[in-house]
Amino acid sequence: MRPSRTAYPLSWRLMDALEATAVAVWPRSFAAAVPWLMLLPAVLLVGLLVLGLWDMADGSLRTLDTATFLPSDDYSLRNYDRAFTEKLFFTVASRSLIGSLIVTVITLILAFPYSYVMVRTRSAALRKVLLIALFLPFFIGQVVRAYGWLIILGSQGMVNEALGLVGVAPVRLLYNYPAVLFGLVQYMLPFAVLMLAPALTAIPEEMESAAGSLGANWVKTFLHVVLPMAKPGFIGAGLVVLTLSLTDFAMPAILGGGSQDFIANAIYDQFFRTSDQGMGATLALLLVAVGSMMVGVVFALFGAGTLAMGRAK
Amino acid sequence: MTGSTKPSLSLGRRRFLQGVGLAGAAGLAGMPFGRAFAAEPEKPTEIIVRAWGGSWADSLKAGVSDPFTKLTGITVRHDLTEDNEIQPKVWAAVAQKRVPPIHINWDTTTNATKSALRGVTEDLSDLSNLAGVTELAKPVGLDGYPIVNTYGYVYVLAYRPAAFPNGAPKSWKDLLDPKFKGRIALYNDGIGFHFPAQVAGGGKLEDIPGNMQPAWDFIAKIKEQEPLLGEDPDFTAWFQKGEIDAACTISTNAREAKANGVDIAWTVPEEGAKYDTDGLWIPKGLPENELYWAKQYINFAITKDAQQVWLDGLGLPGVVPGVNPPADLVGDPSYPTTEADFKKLIRISSKVQVEHESEWFGKFKEIMQG
Repeated sequence: MRPSRTAYPLSWRLMDALEATAVAVWPRSFAAAVPWLMLLPAVLLVGLLVLGLWDMADGSLRTLDTATFLPSDDYSLRNYDRAFTEKLFFTVASRSLIGSLIVTVITLILAFPYSYVMVRTRSAALRKVLLIALFLPFFIGQVVRAYGWLIILGSQGMVNEALGLVGVAPVRLLYNYPAVLFGLVQYMLPFAVLMLAPALTAIPEEMESAAGSLGANWVKTFLHVVLPMAKPGFIGAGLVVLTLSLTDFAMPAILGGGSQDFIANAIYDQFFRTSDQGMGATLALLLVAVGSMMVGVVFALFGAGTLAMGRAK
Repeated sequence: MTGSTKPSLSLGRRRFLQGVGLAGAAGLAGMPFGRAFAAEPEKPTEIIVRAWGGSWADSLKAGVSDPFTKLTGITVRHDLTEDNEIQPKVWAAVAQKRVPPIHINWDTTTNATKSALRGVTEDLSDLSNLAGVTELAKPVGLDGYPIVNTYGYVYVLAYRPAAFPNGAPKSWKDLLDPKFKGRIALYNDGIGFHFPAQVAGGGKLEDIPGNMQPAWDFIAKIKEQEPLLGEDPDFTAWFQKGEIDAACTISTNAREAKANGVDIAWTVPEEGAKYDTDGLWIPKGLPENELYWAKQYINFAITKDAQQVWLDGLGLPGVVPGVNPPADLVGDPSYPTTEADFKKLIRISSKVQVEHESEWFGKFKEIMQG
């Protein structure tokens, strides 16, 4: 008996054709390679990055000839020697490292209560307000935000005007190290909240209730239940804030008044001011190395936190 | 840019006649456009000139770019990429034998000298209007004209008169007064300050570059005053917002701040002030026709008419004799015209500057970042 046309509709035939084409192009015996195929974009991306780093590594071994402004043909470790022995680079590197650690600690302390309230609140309206306040800064670039602080904290800014109303003389709030750290904390806060919130969401509320029912007050519950269970969030948020702060350019440039440079500013200077691309490449590679080592140490000691996507370390 | 050229054969009759008329006008202006119109290379649709923004670009537009467009029909686009940032792009383009991203770079002579030493600049010795310029147009220490200097400028001591009730500061050492702590500004690479600091620190200009310890000693004293470090736009903004009382800056920035209503004046202290030049140059790698018209742009920029309008806007002395200073700058130390004026200024060869720039930059930064 001939099957009716409606028993095998056109759309099925089309799907059959597509499936046959897919099998012709990618036979079932290739199935094991599918995961690798899905990794291809990441491999390409990392590959490009490695190519760029390789090029920079080559450049870092060449010194600048100021008679011709061309890199030397021969290789040497002169740029690395300068990076490790010149006081300027030590000053800037230590300022960046210490600054990024301070920013990370302060940001995590501020981000935690924000995330906790956002996750635990019973009020949908409050949650929405907190979410909007969280995402709003992402629509405003870092440079614009830094200039905003110039308006607020400047000698004739809003804060000094308010101080003037109570008879306090203008105070220099900008162009110093605390101003840079303040700007960085404000910039990093949304990133930290975003990384902490999923970790807090993953802690069942019943755990806190159970601790309470067993006699723990809220401090004990917080210290012995919430904080340990939020550790993956702290690690993930801490790593993101640490690496972004360590490599930041705009905040030190705008809020530092030119005398509070971080490593990224020193790299810019070498590439664009003194035209010494070899020295710039050297500093950039050292920054990548130091950043990677810091992340590696955290991974080794504490795991990858939320960055492990729920897997064990 | 190669693809952006428009064939001259496609010109309509009306445009052609207009072109002939413009070529005639160009001839009157001392330009070579009129010499053989039929033999002129085809015109690009636009010429890209890297420029500084604000009053700098406005002045160039009014004095050179707009009149050039009127004469030739070629649109001039100003690329406001920072001079330091366009440099590696141009160098990379030349090294890779690509067409560079700009036709003309309006650059500091120091920066331009680096490009000339690297061999990425076209020779401009054949510009006809070079016959009528002063010695200032010729870059010191370089063969031929890889750059044409177009004007000079002075790194003056700009100040708020209200902060100096006893009159203009006489010396750079006046900035060491404790009341100016956190109230002074320098360029963030120290440019403009090294040489007067050498004198203020008790050293001699003849010792540059061999012994600049007096300069570093004086800069270290200035560091204790916690100066702000920035770039051209920062100085104007800082004066406007009341952040600083004094700065070592190019007179153009001080004049712009004054035009914006800021109470500001400037002076050349007794130790002197750095005098330097800016110039125009063309990167190698342009198609022949675009190179020709880029050269014509620079040739036009060193005509008296163009310089008069361009430099009126900047308030700077040009390289063509007979250009009159703006009314507000007659007799001003930032607009040197006489031998006596120039004696107060410090000019060091660009070649010496570029050879030691990295070292001086590092030393200045080391002091200021410490």
